[in-house]
Amino acid sequence: MEIYLPVAEMSVNWLILIALGTGVGFLSGMFGVGGGFLMTPLLVFTGIPSTVAVATTLSHVTASSMSGALAQWRKRAIDFTMAGVMLVGGIGGTLFGVWLFALMRRQGQMDLIVALTYVLMLGSIGTIMLRESLAALKAYRSGATATRRPVNRGWIQALPLKMRFRQSRLYISVLPPIAIGFVVGTLSAIMGIGGGFIVVPAMIYVLRMPTKVVMGTSLVQIIAVTAITTVLQATNNYAVDIVLALLLVSGGVVGAQLGVRAGAKLRGEQLRLLLALLVLTVAAGLLWQLIVRPADLYSLSEAAP
Amino acid sequence: MKRIVLAALLLLAVPARAEDLVSGISQDIIQITSNYTGTNIVVFGAIEQAQNPQGRNIVVVVRGPDEPMTVRRRDRIAGVWINNDAAKFEGLPAYYYLASTEPISRIAPPQVLARYGIGLQSLTPSAIGSHHDPEPFRQAVIRYHRRVGLYAESPGSIDFLSETLFRTRVPVPAGVTRGQYNVEVYLIRDGEVVSAQSTPLFVDATGLERRVFNSAHDSPLPYGLACVFMSMLLGWISYVLFRRPE
Repeated sequence: MEIYLPVAEMSVNWLILIALGTGVGFLSGMFGVGGGFLMTPLLVFTGIPSTVAVATTLSHVTASSMSGALAQWRKRAIDFTMAGVMLVGGIGGTLFGVWLFALMRRQGQMDLIVALTYVLMLGSIGTIMLRESLAALKAYRSGATATRRPVNRGWIQALPLKMRFRQSRLYISVLPPIAIGFVVGTLSAIMGIGGGFIVVPAMIYVLRMPTKVVMGTSLVQIIAVTAITTVLQATNNYAVDIVLALLLVSGGVVGAQLGVRAGAKLRGEQLRLLLALLVLTVAAGLLWQLIVRPADLYSLSEAAP
Repeated sequence: MKRIVLAALLLLAVPARAEDLVSGISQDIIQITSNYTGTNIVVFGAIEQAQNPQGRNIVVVVRGPDEPMTVRRRDRIAGVWINNDAAKFEGLPAYYYLASTEPISRIAPPQVLARYGIGLQSLTPSAIGSHHDPEPFRQAVIRYHRRVGLYAESPGSIDFLSETLFRTRVPVPAGVTRGQYNVEVYLIRDGEVVSAQSTPLFVDATGLERRVFNSAHDSPLPYGLACVFMSMLLGWISYVLFRRPE
């Protein structure tokens, strides 16, 4: 049951890795997120070096997003125009993120900054989603038609360079999508994630895209960002383990398909409530690790920076 | 009469050469394959011109390639545990295993152990980069490697098959680094090293594992693109397989 990972230079139980891939893939198919924010901490927990975990998780995210995106594409639920505009910012953000990554590594505080970023991002987004989805569910129960989409007013409507996004039924400036793409690209390089847990809420609450196209469009954006970051991680850090990737991906794509089906049976508000709870659980776990006194105050990194 | 025989024996023994050592290992190369989960090597040897076994000890040391290491210490700052202080070491091995007939503190005095690098406490870095006392950081290196099974001291683990023939089993765990290892066998009498022998041992990946590792390091761009392609292909295959006919 053991298999040797040539880049991570260690033996692991391949059944555990396939199960891990399937489980995370299921969640990513269900919620339309990549699952990197779950996979990276879980891989580190099984003893895989964090650099390899961060870099290889991206392949898993690419594959389950691909599988999920094709399913959404079939339902015509992808706004390619929006994905393309976001990717313009995404490429810039990825390159900036890789530069920032190297800078933080020289300062020796990368672990802390990554952990704090995780806690802040997941904690705030989880809280917003939880409040919103609970309110929506309450409105639904009390008989009100909660399907009404809030009309976008204020600063986003005031921005220039407006463009029509037919699939999303939006006529807005290209600047907010480009900015979101840039932020997500940066975080992808630093945290080893696709950024779905940021893209999905940003599309819903900032861009006011309909939930129906949010899943597919975010998956397309995630595929592009993770593919670019994988290549950058392979060329800069030599940290992508293709054997580990194959195991995670094999489980992940099956899980993603099952997840898409499970997700179709749930209402949008219910999905967002579950995702919010999941995100908050991970944030709480990471915060706990920062606050509790570590078993050994000393930690070792063998690769000298 | 007894005294004369003893004296004669002593006279015969004096011109004879001092005690010596021959040793070998069961394999001089460890191949890492896809199902590699750690292995054992057997280090064996014989004592030549053996004298009184009293006061005689055997120590076997297997030392892996040196690796630069950075150790960081966390302190509580504003309620959060933050990496605050660091020390960098060079010249510490990635793997160290010691087998001996007795606990090494009883075999030789500390200065002898330090001179030959015998025992985990004798591991001294060749270069240190630290603002403060590096000793707690060095202890952390030893503690970490012991925890993951890459450093070990195993006194009393040398089996004598006869008066002069011995062997010991050295565990080589799954997490070992590739490179050249050294197997050192010491014959120590009354606290002094009488004879020592060193044999190289190579740990290397073979076949597919080696090719994957090499391509990841030598041609990272095609390797990275291959990873992306593989992921997309598997994503597409799974979609086709799971698609419900309509």
